[in-house]
Amino acid sequence: MTPNIIPADTNGIRDKAAIVGIGETEFSWDSGRSELQLASEAIKAACDDAGIAPQDIDGLIRYDMESNHETLLTQSLGIKNLRHWESVSYGGGAGNAVVGHAAAAIAAGYANYVVCFRAANLRSGVRLGRARGPELIPGGADSFAVPWGSMAPAHRFGMFVRRYMHDYGATSRHFGWVAVTLREHASRNPRALRRDPITIDDHQNSRMVVDPLHVLDFCQENDGAAAIVITTAERARELRHSGTLTLIEAAAQGSGPRNDGIIYRPDLAVAESEHTARDLWARARLDASDMDALMFYDHFTPFCLINLETYGFVPRGEAKDFVDGGGNIRFDGALPTNTHGGNHSEAYIHGLTHVQEAVRLIRGTSTAQPPHKTINRALSCSSVAQLSGAVIIRRG
Amino acid sequence: MTQQSERGAQSQPMTRPLEGVPLPELERVPDYERGFWEGTQAGELRIQRCSACGLFRHLPTPMCPECSSLDYEWTTVSGRGFVYSYVIVRHPVHQAIREKEQTPYNVCVIELEEQADLRICSNVLHMAPEDISIDMPVRATFVPASDDPGVVLPVFIPVAQS
Repeated sequence: MTPNIIPADTNGIRDKAAIVGIGETEFSWDSGRSELQLASEAIKAACDDAGIAPQDIDGLIRYDMESNHETLLTQSLGIKNLRHWESVSYGGGAGNAVVGHAAAAIAAGYANYVVCFRAANLRSGVRLGRARGPELIPGGADSFAVPWGSMAPAHRFGMFVRRYMHDYGATSRHFGWVAVTLREHASRNPRALRRDPITIDDHQNSRMVVDPLHVLDFCQENDGAAAIVITTAERARELRHSGTLTLIEAAAQGSGPRNDGIIYRPDLAVAESEHTARDLWARARLDASDMDALMFYDHFTPFCLINLETYGFVPRGEAKDFVDGGGNIRFDGALPTNTHGGNHSEAYIHGLTHVQEAVRLIRGTSTAQPPHKTINRALSCSSVAQLSGAVIIRRG
Repeated sequence: MTQQSERGAQSQPMTRPLEGVPLPELERVPDYERGFWEGTQAGELRIQRCSACGLFRHLPTPMCPECSSLDYEWTTVSGRGFVYSYVIVRHPVHQAIREKEQTPYNVCVIELEEQADLRICSNVLHMAPEDISIDMPVRATFVPASDDPGVVLPVFIPVAQS
């Protein structure tokens, strides 16, 4: 079996790289400007935060969905010698994975300053939640789904959620507590798009979009960009945030079998990211009990429960009890979770904002900073039903 | 685990597949998928099966994921199965569904009886969405797509439970 080939102590990136800058544009429903403009602004902001110039960048890692290719950015940013570039596949699946790739590039010595970014007009431009693609499908997974009306992410992920509810007894009300808590976090965050607090009744009474998912279970669709600057741990000690090093301790990506089209996976109620979680903990020689905070990819609220179980914060089937009432996942609770408000209420930038928030928590600058404990380690993990990635960020 | 609709009332059952939605372009689908559509045109549910080890597979692929054989055949299955999971789509995301007011509709993942975890995506007809449930037995029937009668869609209808 492939998983056992990797020695448990293989972690070639451990603490070699540090996140030294984070930046973003404002998040909006209509940015009114190009995706290149958004990327340039977010990367400049991240460089300012790091205390470097955009011209210092010599590595770029983008999502493969990104429209801003390397030549556009070297032109706009004034990069004189781009030494390393990559694109990582998938939307949410590339979240966190881009940071792992950046850490690997730094550890290998391929570049000095690597930027991970995502910039997109996902509201005023092409919306992911709308049906898209050709009216005549030349085969493949869509041809076996779209003719029956399975056209949007919520339709596929909803199948996962329904099966999870059936097998483990979770209800829409449990998902509602996730929504209420994330919105409360966003209400403290001036960057957030949705800041009006909601109640559990608001969630339960909200419009049913794709049963079992209410509208308040969905993430935002918005415009905006986010960027992260990564360099060596040694160089990080010379930069602006030298007082609080945020090291990349471990990273993993994972997939399982039969994942094309999502619904054919062997056990649809179990997250494909169990493969990611297993490798991450083995490489880090840590487990969920070592994490002070959780940043999970909340394209839909039920995946809070599924992530909690997949990464071992609670035994399988018990996340519904853990999130009930919202207290445990609040910023002042046992496991501060998506303290920025997440994709659900802050903004949807394909998971990059979650890594940024992990950095803020370690710096102590979150707008929902836990008052009761120091955040020394945070897990940021991405989508659970497709190829996924995860990183552990720790205080150096 | 059936959820009530927002109004608490029963919604209308689907009586036919959706109209105006994207369909496969049969002239362009790969060889290793074509047998599925030839089967539905003949009123049969044909699933790709490995000639070497006998494993059924869907989605169709060029190679057997278990034994790596490139040889396969199209095997007619019973069309019987059960609802493995489902969603009720209440908000249209496609223009034809919005304009023709085709919501709510269901999308079901049907697990076929021939093999554990052998699933296909379809609709269950003639049942109010609120009455659809996981593990409900169903059987296949075949309906030409209204926009291209050459594309015959397998859909499912409930089997009375004894």
